[in-house]
Amino acid sequence: MKKTWVAACVAMACCATTATAEVNINGFASIKAGKASSGDTLYGYTDEIDFKNESLFALQVQSDLGEKLSVTAQIMARGRNDFDAEFEWAFLTYQLTDEWRLNAGRLRTPFYKYSDFRDVGYAYDWLRTPQSVYDLGFNTIEGVSLYHSSNFRNMQSNLQLVFGAYDGEVAVVGTESPAQINNIVGATWELSQDWLSMRLAYLVGDVSIEASSLNPLLQALSNLGLGSVAQSIDFNEDDGSFFGVGLNYDRNDWLMVAEYTHVKVEDSFYANQDSYYLSLGRRFGAFTPYVSYEKDEDDAKPEIYAALPANFPLRPTIATIVNSQWFDNSTWNLGLRYDFHPAAAFKVQFSSAKDKFTNSKDSLMALGVDLVF
Amino acid sequence: MNWFKVMTLTAALAANTAFAEVAVIVHPSNAATLDQAEITRLFTGRGATFNNGNKATPLNLSESAAARADFDSKVLGKSSSQMKAYWSKLVFTGKGTPPKELNSDADMKAAVAADANAIGYIDAAAVDATVKVVAKF
Repeated sequence: MKKTWVAACVAMACCATTATAEVNINGFASIKAGKASSGDTLYGYTDEIDFKNESLFALQVQSDLGEKLSVTAQIMARGRNDFDAEFEWAFLTYQLTDEWRLNAGRLRTPFYKYSDFRDVGYAYDWLRTPQSVYDLGFNTIEGVSLYHSSNFRNMQSNLQLVFGAYDGEVAVVGTESPAQINNIVGATWELSQDWLSMRLAYLVGDVSIEASSLNPLLQALSNLGLGSVAQSIDFNEDDGSFFGVGLNYDRNDWLMVAEYTHVKVEDSFYANQDSYYLSLGRRFGAFTPYVSYEKDEDDAKPEIYAALPANFPLRPTIATIVNSQWFDNSTWNLGLRYDFHPAAAFKVQFSSAKDKFTNSKDSLMALGVDLVF
Repeated sequence: MNWFKVMTLTAALAANTAFAEVAVIVHPSNAATLDQAEITRLFTGRGATFNNGNKATPLNLSESAAARADFDSKVLGKSSSQMKAYWSKLVFTGKGTPPKELNSDADMKAAVAADANAIGYIDAAAVDATVKVVAKF
């Protein structure tokens, strides 16, 4: 499905160049280096200096086919994946009217305020988006998205309706497992004026994850006639939901951004997750220092095994899996953006994350350059 | 903190030396009236038509042209870096394309004089009868 879309989009993009159309080629890149404090690990860094982890290069080809139709493909190479190039976006855009627009193909899942351009570091001040919130995965979906934008008075309203599916892999109990989210339906709405904007997002979908590491336990439970317990642990077309709210203030060179998200998957051992961040910054000409605080709090579901007899042999195994979901993490970030060039920004950010359950602290220093071309 | 004061002071002095006025220009046949909010709408891709309903094609000066930074700060209220960040959000999400860029006041005047839908801007001192001034900042 994925590959077909990509192939179709590429084919169309290629045809377009030979036929009529105006082709725009743009790109962006990040070159970043980081090092965690001695013995620490954070965001993929260790205490060895790493230039690869958060570096990336991307090229975008957009072709206007006329008659309100255009095609866009974005190819990205991430250092984290050994710079193997991959299609992040590949979609058709049809401008139905001045206010309504339809995108179809491979799209970014519109969970967060910065979802659409989280890899375009130049577009925001931080060195990276706040990871306590921006950590869900399922970043791209295949489907259609309908946008409606309108102005009233000095306000602008942007509504996005999305329908599609995710097919990929996620880490469950430490192993990458095939995951699907079917029937994703969602809406986001952003209302903004000159210096203030507010955003709401709500998405639902049927979550299925083939977690092979869980299979022996699930099989054993079924064999014992405890299929209902197995069902309350596994991910089998379970109702997942995402709610997000964001606020942005940018006035007289003072900047404030905050987002809160709540994620849950019913009938699974997946914890109910609450995360938020608050970031404050101040522009001094080309310099923008900022400070931010992030919090990620996940509530495990001990009710899954609470009703089982205390001497039930599989109870400790279930308890271990369920309780592994408890998480309480807070992070402070201090950073600076410096616009040293019309198309490039230098950034440096110090992050310190504290895990309340393991009572451990990890800190990281990272710096680099974000550019657009 | 002193260091930041020095930085802002330097920025303020730099801004003071650029005292030239920016003239927003359209084709002489264009009867539309425009205020700052409407000009901002057109140059940020949030509107595509003049207030008389005609299609509008905004044209930008490239960053090497003197009037560009003045236009971005006086009319749009942003620095050129902020505008670039703004457009990169739209460009890399397929939501919009920035206005076409021209290299000089002379190129801008020629382009606006030749297109009834165009709207651009130049240093006010470079204005002549081939274009119509709708606002000065």
